[in-house]
Amino acid sequence: MTKQTAGRSADSSRYEIRLGGHLEPRWAAWFDGMTLTHADDGSTLLTGCALDQAALHGVLQKVRDLGLPLLAVAQLDP
Amino acid sequence: MVGPLLETKLHVPRRRRGLVARPRLLERLDRGTEAALTLVSAPAGFGKTTVLTDWLTSVAAGQRPVAWLSLDQRDNDPAVFWTYLVAALRTAAPGVGAGALALLQSPRASTEAVLATLVNDLSASPDDVVLVLDDYHVVDAPEVQDGMSFLVEHLPAQVHLVIAGRADPALPLARWRARGDLVELRAADLRFTADEAAAYLDVATGLTLTTADVAALEQRTEGWIAALQLAALSMQGRDDVAGFIAGFAGDDRYVVDYLVEEVLARQPERVRSFLLQTSVLSRLTGPLCDALTGRNDGKAMLEALDRANLFLVPLDGRRRWYRYHHLFADVLHVRLQDELPDAVSGLHRQAAEWYERSGDRAEAVHHALAGGDVARAADLVELALPALQKGRQEATMRRWLEALPDEVIRVRPVLGVGHAAALMVSGRVEGVEARLRDAERWLSPTPDGAEEPPAPPTEMVVADEAGFRRLPSAIAMYRAGQALLSGDVAGTVAHARRALDLAGAEDHLGRGGAAGLLGLAHWASGDLGTAHRWYSDAASCLEEAGHVSDVAGCAIALADICLARARLGEARSTYERALRLVTPDAGPVLRGAADVHVGIAGILTERGDLDAARRHLLVSRDLGEHVGLPQNPYRWRVVMARIREAEGDVAAALGLLEEAERRYVGDYFPEVRPLPALRAQVLARRGRWAEALAWAQERGLSVDDDPDYLREFEHLTFARALAARSAAQGDARPVSGAVHLLARLLQAAEEGCRTGSVIAVLVVQALAEQTRGDVPAALAALRRALALAEPQGYVRVFADEGAAIGALLRAVAAEDAAAGYAHRLVAALGTGEDDVPAPAGLVDPLSARELDVLRMLGSDLDGPDIARRLFVSVNTVRTHTKNIYAKLGVTNRRAAVRRGEDLDLVPRPRDRPDRAAVPDR
Repeated sequence: MTKQTAGRSADSSRYEIRLGGHLEPRWAAWFDGMTLTHADDGSTLLTGCALDQAALHGVLQKVRDLGLPLLAVAQLDP
Repeated sequence: MVGPLLETKLHVPRRRRGLVARPRLLERLDRGTEAALTLVSAPAGFGKTTVLTDWLTSVAAGQRPVAWLSLDQRDNDPAVFWTYLVAALRTAAPGVGAGALALLQSPRASTEAVLATLVNDLSASPDDVVLVLDDYHVVDAPEVQDGMSFLVEHLPAQVHLVIAGRADPALPLARWRARGDLVELRAADLRFTADEAAAYLDVATGLTLTTADVAALEQRTEGWIAALQLAALSMQGRDDVAGFIAGFAGDDRYVVDYLVEEVLARQPERVRSFLLQTSVLSRLTGPLCDALTGRNDGKAMLEALDRANLFLVPLDGRRRWYRYHHLFADVLHVRLQDELPDAVSGLHRQAAEWYERSGDRAEAVHHALAGGDVARAADLVELALPALQKGRQEATMRRWLEALPDEVIRVRPVLGVGHAAALMVSGRVEGVEARLRDAERWLSPTPDGAEEPPAPPTEMVVADEAGFRRLPSAIAMYRAGQALLSGDVAGTVAHARRALDLAGAEDHLGRGGAAGLLGLAHWASGDLGTAHRWYSDAASCLEEAGHVSDVAGCAIALADICLARARLGEARSTYERALRLVTPDAGPVLRGAADVHVGIAGILTERGDLDAARRHLLVSRDLGEHVGLPQNPYRWRVVMARIREAEGDVAAALGLLEEAERRYVGDYFPEVRPLPALRAQVLARRGRWAEALAWAQERGLSVDDDPDYLREFEHLTFARALAARSAAQGDARPVSGAVHLLARLLQAAEEGCRTGSVIAVLVVQALAEQTRGDVPAALAALRRALALAEPQGYVRVFADEGAAIGALLRAVAAEDAAAGYAHRLVAALGTGEDDVPAPAGLVDPLSARELDVLRMLGSDLDGPDIARRLFVSVNTVRTHTKNIYAKLGVTNRRAAVRRGEDLDLVPRPRDRPDRAAVPDR
């Protein structure tokens, strides 16, 4: 079975997703334990380790479903 | 389908109160009905559903019947998605989709066949219909998306499709946009303008807000309707509205979060806890809410929330089922996780239990999984397996099984084998064997010959006892299927025999399946007598099990085997028997009937009775695809190609064979007459030996190959092409190489008692010897062939050779005992040689794409122009044009257009501006 840990080792990396607006820290669990940081410019930075492509798309879908403006997605350490 | 069809998904959502009139959007939607597709694409909370329901109740749209479908996650299974889509259409056009629904319930139908049937129904429907697919963004299964692309490409003009969702669908939108066939409403259109925001706040709050207040709210929410709604709710009954607005405008928290907090803070505790607890539900009804909250005010609460406009969406007209607005539900759920993290899984488990009690297994599985109640989920899935398999819901099956932890499946042999089956049905080999082996450990702790397996660490779990008893036989059968797929005939036989031994006397389906696999294995190895015996067994078991359509499948195999053994009469009576089964005196015609008619047509063609053959093909076509197996479309074309070839229309025959290749659907049958080889055979007979030899080279055929039943027909065709080359070039060398190959083929066919092959080889041998100049040898071969063929009434195997065999046949006719038969065959040669009859009607209709091309052929556009318009390559246009010519029986553009007009193939111009300019003829 595809366990979450199995697929994540080789093809996964760290991503930083910038959203318009401040999200409360309680949303961390909603985003599968990603870290939420507030930036001074009013945006929120979502940082997640070991996301493979499928997991990344899952996060982006959640962002979409909240109607939050997606400002940027960056891969941190390829 | 597992679980009942939810009527609520087909219900046009009730119009909500407090709407702002938005004439600019309604006008745009009205204009949309002139295009084929309207796309409403914007994030959550932009009022997509509202503007659509508003439009549907407006005057302009109110004339048309509306089919509405609200999609959700579970629709990512093609079987589920298409069942709902057809059900939705039937609410608006009750006459359509019966055939499609029948196909959906049949285990062997392709999605394309389902949709083709549906499209045919729709295009015959007298009324226009608006089909709305709401929340389309949840559809991410590629199988469903592919089907939608097909549907959209073939959508009849009567259907106007509206797709609403948070993301653009994976459809060829750019092409539609370029054609002017797409109307869009996007976030920028849907946002409230400053005026609309002012009007909305005025109605919704009943407050007199200053222009500055309105501007501040509009700016902070950026016209996002859901946010404005929440803001309006927060302001209700508040003394310090200005203070609220100032606080809100000065805060940069996520708008919905901020506002929901404001709204919740103003609710009594009873309401607040109800909202949080029920936020785990995707659909709400009173008793279900009671199960979660442990209270008994669910129904009253839902009604109160509905009245207070607290983001509750009614799902039916009777106010029994609701859902929360998506945004609101997400925010509530996050709060629940934050405030009562330990309660979440318990709430899901309560929901699972409630759904299980009320018989909705699909929802029960969803909540059991979400609540971490793996044991319950696994039980539910195990018990649902037979229904899932019968309803072809492999995608659902795989999704559920893959959501269960591996260690749970490993201790549940019934689930493990179910997973293996789901993988195999979807054409995946990987992982199947491991699942079967895991399951087997529970059945026989020490499989013979294997090393001592590690003792299973835990207890086995079985929910479906009957399924467990069938496991030993089922495992062996799946192994046999695996072996067959990998070409391992000996392995197939061994496993299938084991499956047969292990199957209970009452397990007719299991016994029939195993016998069928044994038949296939022997067929593939060329042992036709044994294959025939097993297939007969399989047919009687399946008949016993009531699987009549599979009996028809067996009949096709049995008849094919009979043909290979030159038993045309027996093949015919096999088909006649099957026909009586699938066309009962009372009740509907069953699946497989269309195939049986094609089979009979094949035999009639071989015997030279082309008119009768054609009649059976037309009966088959009239029955429709829903009573045909997936292979029928290509098999139909193969037989029609033989008829056209016999009538001398080679171009049509080749066109049909090419089309057959495009419609080809494989099954477990050995491919003893591959389509490209059939095509090469026609080419070789018609002097186009260079093309036939190019095919042979591509296939890597050599005159030194060892005979092999599965390549027999290819080798024979190769030899025929070499003979044609020698005849054309007056050079005996090519054919000399083939003589030894033919001798080996003959010997192998004789040893395998494949008399049908023997006759065909002898015919080619006669031609080869004639070409080499050894006329006595040629006549000897032909006489042998005639002696074998005459009792069965063969005609075409000789007659299709046309002039090439004419001299030899005439020589035999002049002297021999077989003279009468040879005379008849000489007479049959006539049709093939000179006159090419013009097709009386269109036997083989043009495809939608070919019709497009035909229409453009009537214009001044040249090939590259047409290609550009259709967004395809020039080569593709050329192929279409060739096929059109073949089907219409013409050789040039003008004739094609004229014939198309005569046959009324170009539909009457509808009220589209670009076609209005075309004058009526």
